[in-house]
Amino acid sequence: MTYDKNSKKIVDIIQSFARKHSLWILGYGTGCGAIEIPPTMTSRYDGERFGLRGAATPRQADVLLITGYLATKTLKRVIRSYEQMQSPKYVIGFGSCTINGGMYWDSYNTINALDQYLPVDVFINGCMPRPESVISGFIELQKLIAEGRADGAEKYQKNLEWYRENQKKVIHNWKMPDYNW
Amino acid sequence: MNRKECTENTCTEQIQKIFHTAEVEVQREKRVKVKLRADLILPFLAYAKDYMNFKHLAHFSCVDWIEDNEFELVFMLWSYEANLMIMVKTRIDRSNPEFETLSHLWPQAETYEREMHEMFGVNFEGNNRLGEFILEDWEGIPPFRRDFNTIKYSQENFYQRPGREDAQNVRETVSKHSGKEVPDFAKEYSIRRIEE
Amino acid sequence: MREKETTLYLGPQHPGITGNIMVKLKVAGDTVVKAETHVGYLHRAFEKLMEQRTWIQCFPIVCRICVPEPDPNEENLARAIEEIEVREVPERAKYIRVMVLELARLATYGLWMGGQSGSMGLYTMPQWTVGDRDYIIDLFEELTGGRIYHMYIWAGGVRRDLPEGFTDRVLKVLDYLESRLPDYDNLLFNNAMFRKRAEGVGIIPKDKALEWGVVGPPLRGCGIKHDVRIDEPYEIYDKLDFEIPTAEGCDVWSRALVRRQEYEQSISIIRQVIDKMPGGDYYNKIPNPLTWKVPPGEAYVKTESARGEFGYYAVSDGSDKPRRIHVRGPAYVHGVSLLEKILVGANVADVSFIMNSLGTCPPEIER
Repeated sequence: MTYDKNSKKIVDIIQSFARKHSLWILGYGTGCGAIEIPPTMTSRYDGERFGLRGAATPRQADVLLITGYLATKTLKRVIRSYEQMQSPKYVIGFGSCTINGGMYWDSYNTINALDQYLPVDVFINGCMPRPESVISGFIELQKLIAEGRADGAEKYQKNLEWYRENQKKVIHNWKMPDYNW
Repeated sequence: MNRKECTENTCTEQIQKIFHTAEVEVQREKRVKVKLRADLILPFLAYAKDYMNFKHLAHFSCVDWIEDNEFELVFMLWSYEANLMIMVKTRIDRSNPEFETLSHLWPQAETYEREMHEMFGVNFEGNNRLGEFILEDWEGIPPFRRDFNTIKYSQENFYQRPGREDAQNVRETVSKHSGKEVPDFAKEYSIRRIEE
Repeated sequence: MREKETTLYLGPQHPGITGNIMVKLKVAGDTVVKAETHVGYLHRAFEKLMEQRTWIQCFPIVCRICVPEPDPNEENLARAIEEIEVREVPERAKYIRVMVLELARLATYGLWMGGQSGSMGLYTMPQWTVGDRDYIIDLFEELTGGRIYHMYIWAGGVRRDLPEGFTDRVLKVLDYLESRLPDYDNLLFNNAMFRKRAEGVGIIPKDKALEWGVVGPPLRGCGIKHDVRIDEPYEIYDKLDFEIPTAEGCDVWSRALVRRQEYEQSISIIRQVIDKMPGGDYYNKIPNPLTWKVPPGEAYVKTESARGEFGYYAVSDGSDKPRRIHVRGPAYVHGVSLLEKILVGANVADVSFIMNSLGTCPPEIER
């Protein structure tokens, strides 16, 4: 598909402007870090002025916020939720447990590096990150969307084989469909 | 007996009178320790619950003594009237760990038994909800036993991000990577802590 | 006319549940017929990790067992080690510990108020209480350096002394919180809709409560007056003057009343502590914590957290690493065996309401 260079820019600018100012977060508290989400969303560090709000189901959400460590039992459900979300979709890794295993690096039940299993756009470090760090992470995501570089979903589509191989190594009983919506 | 008069010493006497083979001692204020044979545990718990008014099962735990080849089961009973706790201990064989269930006395004991079955491998007869509780699709020995090496399991199965080595001097590593010097106050703090 | 029974998974991804837990319901029409709790989504094997770390390295990891209220965990581990090792704690440290514990209790009640009204649809209440709770978290940040996980209480006392003027700031925050209580009452506790919704829902039978292992505010909501701070006083609770409120009714409404009254009692306890705080040492020094060996022995200690009785069983065999530390949180009984019994006969819309009132906190069920 070829666009005229100028019109591609204008359409893309308007689209990314609309997307970055209305990010809906899936209501899934996967780990410790979920305790800093209520302060971010309520009256003190108001997150709603950036357009963030909660979404009840994966079909209505844009952002999957992995707050902290992931046990292998949760990883299976997170993958299913991620694949049910519709493009454009983004993943934010929250906390140092998603970066290198954090405090539970030697546990037999938690994974150590999140971007081997899901495509991550932004990592926020800290244990836990302060609400101000959370907001700065979202602003970073907004910048990536404006520049057109937040392409985690397409990376997942193209390299599905590689992601599946890593996931199946950790999840032994793979009773999930092999396609990816 | 009058429940309000149940102190540590009267409890000890009453238990010793009925269960001759028990080793009873007063550990400290409000704590009585009882060691029993494994087959006498259920009659003792039923007696303590019904007749001595120890109605609250506060805790039910298991310790792995791999050197003696035994598991030790520990029960904590609390009496609200006398404000007293009995710690009951018993030992079972590690190579074939079997015990009877407590769920007819306390319904909450079923949860403790399910977890102990999954983490240590102890089989509780009479509890028909033993099975997967916390772990999913776990292959291998029960993970809380002392001969399961969790560091090795984690390093083999999960991808470790390079650059994370432990027992490193963090300040020196960071200063090497960034090219800046370690500041003076930080040098003094590190050295003082290690020498203390 | 018979209704068909459906299986509903109130699953790990749900906007209305308190954490990462699954409740599998069998529903006939709108009434729950059978409930099963599935846990294990947050399992990190703390007790196994603690066997690999030295005693002083266990303190940063132990506060992450209970996410909304981490301080009773540190206090329990510190007291267990002090009991095995017979280590004295200076008076000033005990007063500071009680102040930190009661502030954590206030913060947790603020979060509970938000959760309970949020599961009912009243979203103004979380905006108020979680925003006000942030002032307490600011105090924690000034005192300990961390907002949520403090790592401040350790064996022998506390890590550092109070900063200058800290007690004045605490009193200012307490005055502010007390002035907000009439607003909370107007919106939630005197609200006829909340009362109608909460009365008669989630009933625990009074004669079976002790046998089923109910502790904390659910037990006091049944009219049974037991509290670890009075049954087995720890730190300096025997020198303080406070009441234990109870309520008859055994349902969600009476538990809410009990928590509301305990909020006021906690504020008065902190004021007494600040009044009576002595000077002196804040830490009984451990000689060289990096090679610290605890003599062989075992101990069981309990604390009263905002949700109930928190117990720790610690075993030491004389080396520099613990042999076994077993943690029992109040949600272990409330969330699994008690919930499965109470939910029978409830409406589907009330499931999350009842879970919030019991204080189901999944991280401490499966650690």
